[in-house]
Amino acid sequence: MNEIGFLLGVKLLQILPLLLLAPLVAGIINKVKAILQKRQGASIFQEYFDLYKWWRRETILTPYTSYIFILAPVLYLLTSLMGAAMVGYLDGSFAMGDAFIFVCILALGRFFMTLGSMDSATAFGGMGSSREIYISVLVEPAVMLAVLLNASRYGSTTLSRMAIDYGDIYFTLPTVLACVAFFLIMLAENCRLPVDNPDTHLELTMIHECMTLEYSGRLLSYIHLGSMVRLVVFLVLWGNLYLPLAIPLAVKVLLGALLIGLIETLVNKMRLFKVRIYLSAAVVLLMVAFMAEAW
Amino acid sequence: MELIFIALGLYALGTCSLLLPARGELLAHRAGTFLAAGASFLVFLAAVDYLLGWGRFSLPQAGLIPFASLGQFSLAADLWSGFFLALTGLSGTAVSIYALGYAAHYQGQRLSLLTGLWNLFILSMVLVLIAGDGFTFLVAWEVMALASFMLVYHENEKKATVQAAYQYMVMTHLGTAAIMASFYLLGSASESLVFADLAKNGLTENLRHVAFAFAFIGFALKSGLMPLHVWLPNAHPAAPSHVSALMSGVMLKVAVYGFGRFVFQFLGAEVFAYGLVVMLVGLVSAFLGVLYATMEKDIKRILAYSSVENMGIIFTAFGAGMLLFSLGQTMLSLVAFGAVLVHSFSHSIMKSLMFMSAGAVMHATGTKNIEQLGALLKKMPWTGAFTLVGCMALSSLPFTSGILGEWLTLQSLMSLADSAGTQGLRLLVLVGFILMGLTGALALGCFVRYFGVAFLGRRRSGAVLNAHEATCSMKIGMGLEAAFIVFLGLFPGELVSAAMHALGTDFGSLRGSVWGVFWLRSMTDVAVYSPALLLVLAVVLLAVLALPLMGSKVFAQRDITWNCGTLPTRRQQYTATGLSKPLRRAFTSILRPRRERIFLTKEHAYFGRRLEYRLSLPEHFERLLYQPAEHLLVRLADGLRVVQQGSVRLYIGYTMLAMVLVLIWGWAK
Repeated sequence: MNEIGFLLGVKLLQILPLLLLAPLVAGIINKVKAILQKRQGASIFQEYFDLYKWWRRETILTPYTSYIFILAPVLYLLTSLMGAAMVGYLDGSFAMGDAFIFVCILALGRFFMTLGSMDSATAFGGMGSSREIYISVLVEPAVMLAVLLNASRYGSTTLSRMAIDYGDIYFTLPTVLACVAFFLIMLAENCRLPVDNPDTHLELTMIHECMTLEYSGRLLSYIHLGSMVRLVVFLVLWGNLYLPLAIPLAVKVLLGALLIGLIETLVNKMRLFKVRIYLSAAVVLLMVAFMAEAW
Repeated sequence: MELIFIALGLYALGTCSLLLPARGELLAHRAGTFLAAGASFLVFLAAVDYLLGWGRFSLPQAGLIPFASLGQFSLAADLWSGFFLALTGLSGTAVSIYALGYAAHYQGQRLSLLTGLWNLFILSMVLVLIAGDGFTFLVAWEVMALASFMLVYHENEKKATVQAAYQYMVMTHLGTAAIMASFYLLGSASESLVFADLAKNGLTENLRHVAFAFAFIGFALKSGLMPLHVWLPNAHPAAPSHVSALMSGVMLKVAVYGFGRFVFQFLGAEVFAYGLVVMLVGLVSAFLGVLYATMEKDIKRILAYSSVENMGIIFTAFGAGMLLFSLGQTMLSLVAFGAVLVHSFSHSIMKSLMFMSAGAVMHATGTKNIEQLGALLKKMPWTGAFTLVGCMALSSLPFTSGILGEWLTLQSLMSLADSAGTQGLRLLVLVGFILMGLTGALALGCFVRYFGVAFLGRRRSGAVLNAHEATCSMKIGMGLEAAFIVFLGLFPGELVSAAMHALGTDFGSLRGSVWGVFWLRSMTDVAVYSPALLLVLAVVLLAVLALPLMGSKVFAQRDITWNCGTLPTRRQQYTATGLSKPLRRAFTSILRPRRERIFLTKEHAYFGRRLEYRLSLPEHFERLLYQPAEHLLVRLADGLRVVQQGSVRLYIGYTMLAMVLVLIWGWAK
């Protein structure tokens, strides 16, 4: 019993830094974008202010919704936080951090988020769900291949085991390819450019923002916080799996944030049906990496 | 005490209800379903007792029951059949309770016949599972096929039902013929049909391949693997819902049982190619099944195609296990076979739950077209909640039993990649992972669509207006299955150890413990999934996150949805067809949908035109595979007409010719 309590305590502790720093990372990405676009931009703490603003505002429900609508943001944030607990960057304990389960936990959040947006009975909600499902179907093979590559490399599907330093594997061809591919996956999973544009509210371009359109007040702040935490979880995972362990984690996360800012300045949003090609690229990269591994 | 014989007797007694006159049919129905539920519960009890080794009851062990005029039927159960008996008993109990309320609305439509056949159907499935020789197996198998055929045929006032039932009958007999052929090969090689003797067959290598091919075709057909699945999406919607629940939940698993018996006991899994074929067929079925499920509009066809998907996953795991076994990795292959059993069990409970809920929805609204449902969660809160559990399980989300089998399947594919070493096998695993990934994500999309369109939002037609909650017995039946899904999802320990026990090993490489931690040994490491620990974490977090939402002030205000300044209407919601449009477009090269747009009047070019839009997904399997086969058959029959002219003189000529030939043969001898 004591052991389990200790384990849970550690896991809960692991969540806290990610939860607290996630808005900061989002703020940094926005600031990087602003600087690259020669704008002044908002402060890097702006996301905290936004969250506080939504937190204080009233929450309005449409008359058609059921309890799923309220449950969805809660579970979305909850699964992001559980993801944060599972990446295991503080301790090597592995009782919770299986890679497949990690994918399924995030899928749980997506399941309820898509249902919640359909519950508001508008065209936008359905559109968001439809597109989110579409993107998730395309991204899933790449995610599975990323898990396969790492697990067969380290002989374990446990996330914290994968992050142990294995010496000189970092500058080999498979790692570099997988590093690029995982970054592509991360952009797609977290609704960033070129798959989705987090900045606009234009129905032609948006996916994630479609789903949040009917939400307000605290529920909205939950969703936004959830997606920020999710992005940081992916950044942590990316840094731990593909970049040398010698570099401190914070630097790696910052590097990822800079890269995202750079990419979002350089590329345009893709047409929805072109995303297929973009994600096939990730799949092909991972396939080559996996086959090259045993050569 | 042989509990199972009491159960068989109860089923037989229940079957007698079909003899009762129409006057007392409601009474006969109640008695019959009550007997079926009780008997199934006894089967469940006996099987669980046997599997977990409590030792209070026993199953028949190679005992012979002589029937004077029919020759000898022998019954024998082993651990492998025990596991499948358990899932038959569980779903049989739950669905029979459900049928008590659900089937009552067939009053006046041969209700007592329905109930009698219901008992016979479960009886035949139990008999297949405890058959001790090929003859008994085939007889029980045939009774199962005929009973299910008649149950599918029950609503024979509808033309589509008649067509589907006959298609099912033809297909299932093709399967039976294939299994019979396999038994013939095995039996003639070992000169007996008793299973224990069949195990010692002296088949030559080539004949063994033929026997395997026949067995695989037969059982793949019954379990609805592609491309032999065509009967399944037609038969399931045609049958009454409780029948489809049991057909999908249990009958498909009986086919898995049979295939396992052939592989483990008679044919062996040593040949590499066997596993390869099984796994590839499984992967293709899983992917294509769920892809078609995502496109369907008929709720029962969605579920039927989802069954194809899940059977595909089960056979993928089976194939992976056979491959691992043929590579000499016995311990690792047990994980894969464990996945087969665990997923069979969890699919049987979740799919029967979903079919029961579909039945409740159809009963309440009178339609099974998903485009006409919507907002049912408010009208049917209980059914809705149970369906949500079922949808989560079928999307293989954590905290449900659905994830267990999928996780084990992926793990065994992983160990296949590890143990293989050769590039060819690594490529195979690569393809497997891509297809499993697509399957998992599509399944999630499919059931988001199912639940979101049918139960959430606003009503999509008037059919929902008079919808009402399911009756008490229906709720109990569904609730029982939903409870099992959640319980096994949180505490998979007993299920996993029962599965390992059924495989004849004691916790070799896969283990579950009380704390819900369940782990398996892969090549170099252990993999762990602990739903109970995750649940504790989730509950703590949920409490923290839910607290700020409590209180009366937070959700005080309700207002109409913002719709860019116009009032939102019900028709602005995404339809199910619209929801799956991006996927249809992404996989258009596989699905090849046929679209038709007709502009009815030529008025303004952009505004106020009336137009009609038709979308259909042609049945490519029927077009490419079945229709050519049918044409070939008809052409052959045409060819045979040359000798069948119908003229008496010709037939006398044939007789003459035959006699002359016999005489010549006799003379030559």
